[in-house]
Amino acid sequence: MPPDRNAPYNRTVEVLASKLRRRQIVGSRTTALETLLVLRQVVSKARFSNFEQLVEIIKTVGHRLVEAQPKEHSVGNTVRKVLHHIREEYQTATRGTSIATPKAQFSIAKFVLQGQPRKQITSALKSENRGTLKENDPDDPDSFARSLKPVLMEALQDVLDELETVYDNVSKNAKDHIHSDEIILTLGMSKTVEAFLKTAAHNRNYTVIVAETAPSYEGRQMAQSLSSAGVSTFLVPDSSIFALMSRVNKVILGAHAILANGGMFAITGSQIAATAARAHSTPVVVCAGQFKLTPLWNLYHEYAALDFGNPDEVLGFEEGQLVDKVDVVNPYWDYVRPELIDAYITNDGDHPPSSIYRLLKEAYDDEDTEL
Amino acid sequence: MTSMASYQPVLSISKPENKEENQFDIYEAFQRILKDEQMSPPLAAILALTEVIENSNAGTMFELVNALKDGAEILKHRTPNPISLNAGCELFIAFVTLLPHDSANFLDLKRELIRQGEQYAAEALTYRQKIADLAVGFIKDGSVILTHSYSRVVMQTLLLAHKRKRISVFVTEARPRGLGIKTAEALTAAGIPCSVILDVAVAYVMDKVDFVLVGSEAVVESGGLINAVGSNQIAIIAKAANKPFYALAESYKFHRLFPLSQYDLPSHNSKILAFTQALQPDPPGLMGQNPADHSGSADKSQIKMSPGLDPHPPVKITQEQICQNNPNVDYTRPDLISLVFSDVGSLTPEGVSQYLVGMFAG
Repeated sequence: MPPDRNAPYNRTVEVLASKLRRRQIVGSRTTALETLLVLRQVVSKARFSNFEQLVEIIKTVGHRLVEAQPKEHSVGNTVRKVLHHIREEYQTATRGTSIATPKAQFSIAKFVLQGQPRKQITSALKSENRGTLKENDPDDPDSFARSLKPVLMEALQDVLDELETVYDNVSKNAKDHIHSDEIILTLGMSKTVEAFLKTAAHNRNYTVIVAETAPSYEGRQMAQSLSSAGVSTFLVPDSSIFALMSRVNKVILGAHAILANGGMFAITGSQIAATAARAHSTPVVVCAGQFKLTPLWNLYHEYAALDFGNPDEVLGFEEGQLVDKVDVVNPYWDYVRPELIDAYITNDGDHPPSSIYRLLKEAYDDEDTEL
Repeated sequence: MTSMASYQPVLSISKPENKEENQFDIYEAFQRILKDEQMSPPLAAILALTEVIENSNAGTMFELVNALKDGAEILKHRTPNPISLNAGCELFIAFVTLLPHDSANFLDLKRELIRQGEQYAAEALTYRQKIADLAVGFIKDGSVILTHSYSRVVMQTLLLAHKRKRISVFVTEARPRGLGIKTAEALTAAGIPCSVILDVAVAYVMDKVDFVLVGSEAVVESGGLINAVGSNQIAIIAKAANKPFYALAESYKFHRLFPLSQYDLPSHNSKILAFTQALQPDPPGLMGQNPADHSGSADKSQIKMSPGLDPHPPVKITQEQICQNNPNVDYTRPDLISLVFSDVGSLTPEGVSQYLVGMFAG
């Protein structure tokens, strides 16, 4: 089906796309949430008479949103996640009604890809009649959509719930990661890290050193927030990260996007902190929700992955006579290599960088990697 | 191979009826299939095994699997370097034992297995293209690439990259077989700037290189790589210079093997790295004299060494002797490998074991 420009959901998609383009919505969780809300509208309003059409519709919408702001990776991730979930729902809904036998499709290529075949339970499958799910019904083309939509909405609700509880779930085990009298170094203002540190403070008495994270100085906000929550906090300039590292027990960072090789994009300064930590053999852990998992390998090869902040933060207009004499760049993200990271603390368990790859395989379908 | 000579009689004793009834020789079949330029040993092994099924009169699954295992043994013992074909044999035999079937008719099942094997071999020929497509995404415009020896999948990747980007290639000579020259000739013919370097010049060239790209003989369970000898030292140098080391491997080269060192490889034998025996033992009288001679003066010992004058007859070392004494393949540890590109995706070395466990464990 060609993308329907007059579809009832078109306006919401366009609104979000332009907001993303203008950077009115930023931050990986916010964009993920907004994307999900739009997709929910799309699914509820879309007209389709078979599953392929639905997938095509979602992919088209996903493509438009990703094109609008390719640097917010969680937009694409949310689309992929939704596609994965609706495929699962569709498969459970149609199991038993479809005639295709899994045995006939088994081949060596599949064997390599998926491993040993599951024990055959199809024979014991309940002969539950799901005859209501009929694709391409000529009499009533909407019947398929009508019967599938309720389960799809549930699936989307699951994704939404996961996003909404992400901070709680990441910080669930905070007290196991932070021990009493430890000194933690962090930087930037990551909501996830903030929630994590505050949760740990319920049980532990520890000290946080926050680097102020020039040029955005988000570290200052973080320090204020933590100290108002009763955590003993030091605010230090970025340049002293290395000097202080010998006293630090653990570095806790946030992430913008986690890449398939286990590396990540994070606020500038993360690379300094991670390298300094490596020099002192200090563990580096990253707190991030799994919606930040991005199934891309080669982002760090492409300059498009670089995102630049406002140069005004580096050299303000009060330095007017200098502005045309120097080039001012303010790269926003650092790429941190997987070797520098010891663990990811996610809303679904703790993982080493080397198993991020496997998480991705479970979270998304391969065919959606390119949207 | 000595092991082959000692092995074959045993086989003919244990399976006498096999020899008499059908004169099918799996090794011949294997060699015939390998004549196809595009065919790689694991796939040829799979096809040879389908021919075993075709020629076998086994009436039960047990007999059939035994026949396949015997066939695989023969291949293994008659091929000088069995590692990669082993991967293919293991894959196919595991598949045969695990194929879910409800066949009332054994003949049908056999036919199905043959069909599956042939279908896979045909399908697998497209994998190199798939890998090339994947790997090209990692090649930046203007890259300088170091590759080793000759590999079809590397060639395909480089040729594809050449269509879209400007690349230049250093290729090692890869002694003793000198296959690097074949690579260089093919690349130059395709218009890719290319230069052959000595195997011993890898460290010299490494600073000029953006990344290393090699093919593979097999990728083992640890994620390590088995490839033409020299790959290991390239990987070590690449690591020291902080350059990425990428391996390209079709998924049928994933091999359930866990070598801990070079000497755990199945291709290792006692001839490799053997010290050459002195032709005649030193007379006892000379033994005492020699050290004194050497300590006397360097010049003196130089003269002594020259042919004709010294008590030792001149020793000629031929290229063949060197070849015999040296391995064909070596093992590269997973921590030296940045990524493995395969038709199932770009994998970290650890990712490979996941597939092997999926196929062979449990």
